[in-house]
Amino acid sequence: MQARIAESDWAARVGRNAARSRRRSREGWRAVLFLLPTVVFVAVFVYAPAAMSLALGFYHYHLLGARTTFAGLADFRSALTYPIFWLALEHTLLYALYMVPLTLAGAVAIALLIDAQGRFYAAIRTLVLLPYITPVIATSIGWLWMFNPQYGVLNAVLHWFNLPPSQWLLSSSMAMPSVVLYSLWHGLGFNVVIVLSALAGVPRPVWEAAAVDGATGWQRFFRVTLPLLTPTLFFLAVVTTIGSLQAFSQIYALSGGTGGPEYATTTLLLLIYQTAFQYFHFSYAAAMAMLLVALILMLTFIQNWLSKRWVFYQ
Amino acid sequence: MSQAVSAERESRQPRTKIGRKLGRASRAGFALLVGLLFLFPLYVAWVTSLDTAAHVFTVPPHLIPDFDFNAYRRVWHMARWLMYLGNTVFITAVTLAIALSSSVLSAYALSFFHFKGRNTVFMSVLIVLMIPAEALLIPNYVILQAFHLLNTYWAQILPYGASVFGVFLLRQFFLSLPDSYRDAAKLDGAGHLRFLWSIALPVAKPALFTVGLYIFIGCWNSFQWPLIVSTSHSVQPVEVAVSRLMMAHSVDWRRLSAAGIMTTLPLVMAFFILQRHIVRGIRRGEGLQE
Repeated sequence: MQARIAESDWAARVGRNAARSRRRSREGWRAVLFLLPTVVFVAVFVYAPAAMSLALGFYHYHLLGARTTFAGLADFRSALTYPIFWLALEHTLLYALYMVPLTLAGAVAIALLIDAQGRFYAAIRTLVLLPYITPVIATSIGWLWMFNPQYGVLNAVLHWFNLPPSQWLLSSSMAMPSVVLYSLWHGLGFNVVIVLSALAGVPRPVWEAAAVDGATGWQRFFRVTLPLLTPTLFFLAVVTTIGSLQAFSQIYALSGGTGGPEYATTTLLLLIYQTAFQYFHFSYAAAMAMLLVALILMLTFIQNWLSKRWVFYQ
Repeated sequence: MSQAVSAERESRQPRTKIGRKLGRASRAGFALLVGLLFLFPLYVAWVTSLDTAAHVFTVPPHLIPDFDFNAYRRVWHMARWLMYLGNTVFITAVTLAIALSSSVLSAYALSFFHFKGRNTVFMSVLIVLMIPAEALLIPNYVILQAFHLLNTYWAQILPYGASVFGVFLLRQFFLSLPDSYRDAAKLDGAGHLRFLWSIALPVAKPALFTVGLYIFIGCWNSFQWPLIVSTSHSVQPVEVAVSRLMMAHSVDWRRLSAAGIMTTLPLVMAFFILQRHIVRGIRRGEGLQE
């Protein structure tokens, strides 16, 4: 990278330091103008709020009242002693725990299945990606109807296979898996596209050599294809983890904005939303948001550390 | 996992001709099943929206469309859909214009201008990627309130005015331009803006498309932020309007499905027209995020 920057340095070619510094200061002003929009947006809507959110958690901030008093760790303490906070944390982790392995396994399985030439497979790839671009609220309507215990399609399918019906979103044990089902439907296509493009990069000769050496299909998959996919899978694991900790729209839509039944789909982000924008406890919500951020950073760090054990770089 | 089994079976290439044919057919069958599973929820919503009253609450569910457009007619009069759709279009278009131009300008400055602290600026923009959006939700609300911007279009546009991903991806593209291009343009007397407009931008078209695609999907389908900052109906995007309808009419499945289909359809059509570019765009975005 450094080398490329130096190479593109037009002034360096001229080779005269004085001219160079004059040009530098002239270009400096132009650069400021060009950079201004991005820098202003980033400063006002990222850096300032990031600094503020640290402060908000430590103060009692009232939306309408003028009284802003120092609270110290009170908000963090009350968050950590609030049973619903722990419940929400548990549900957040549970959701991610469902989503990450299912997304990775599902994406690899589907990608292997549809990684073939021809119009037919191209059409299937289109269908798999289609849900990804649909709006979450609008498409969760159809799913709500499919989840309906009495008239929904899903219970009809269970009935068809002679399986007992489920209460789906109305049961506190099945509500979260139901949300997971929706999220998989909506997001898998994106992951499949990424795995497909990684599969295209698997060198054909290596794979054929293994075949010539008498490796079975399973052996070729586990010994050749899968190790070569690990960098991509690591990327998807990180993205899916962060994405599931930030899931909101589908949980809001499928639980009717409540996070129910009995808090079964209340995740941290939903709890933060309710605390801040339905009950207007801003500082309290900000303290919880800080804890969620800490969780995200911690998980990203752990994944990075673990990746050294399983990711194979060529 | 069964899909993987069939994929592997296919690649193992059974010795007999019939075996090979069977393998290929079973793979195609599985693939078709998977494709239809992804289409099915949209199909169910579509059928429900076209049901006659007698066919909504039936066991087993009725899955053949009746082509009764009453639900659409009625849901159309339940809300000012054109206004909400207009809001979504306006917010997405303006966000796209602002975020694309701000990232083009910054990426250009970070690759063609030479000034002190260039790397510092670039790094300080990149660090934004490390800050999770959750941390910004509440303080950004407070900031917009201080600027008296709540319940305006701007509340939904300005926080997305910068695209770090855009700056990063476009900078990569600009840096890959051979120096001779800029040198030649300079000899011909082209200034930076001229060079940017007629040479750098056309070359960076694929990157522009990728960045635009990510901004478009994020913006058009955004829900949480508009829900928080727009309580007055006149500036709400269509997703927020649909969610309000859902909460208020949770049993009228035909009308709800009609609303869902109506607001999904524009995206589905755009997807089918642009799908090849979209797939390429997604791949390109991922390759550079790593």
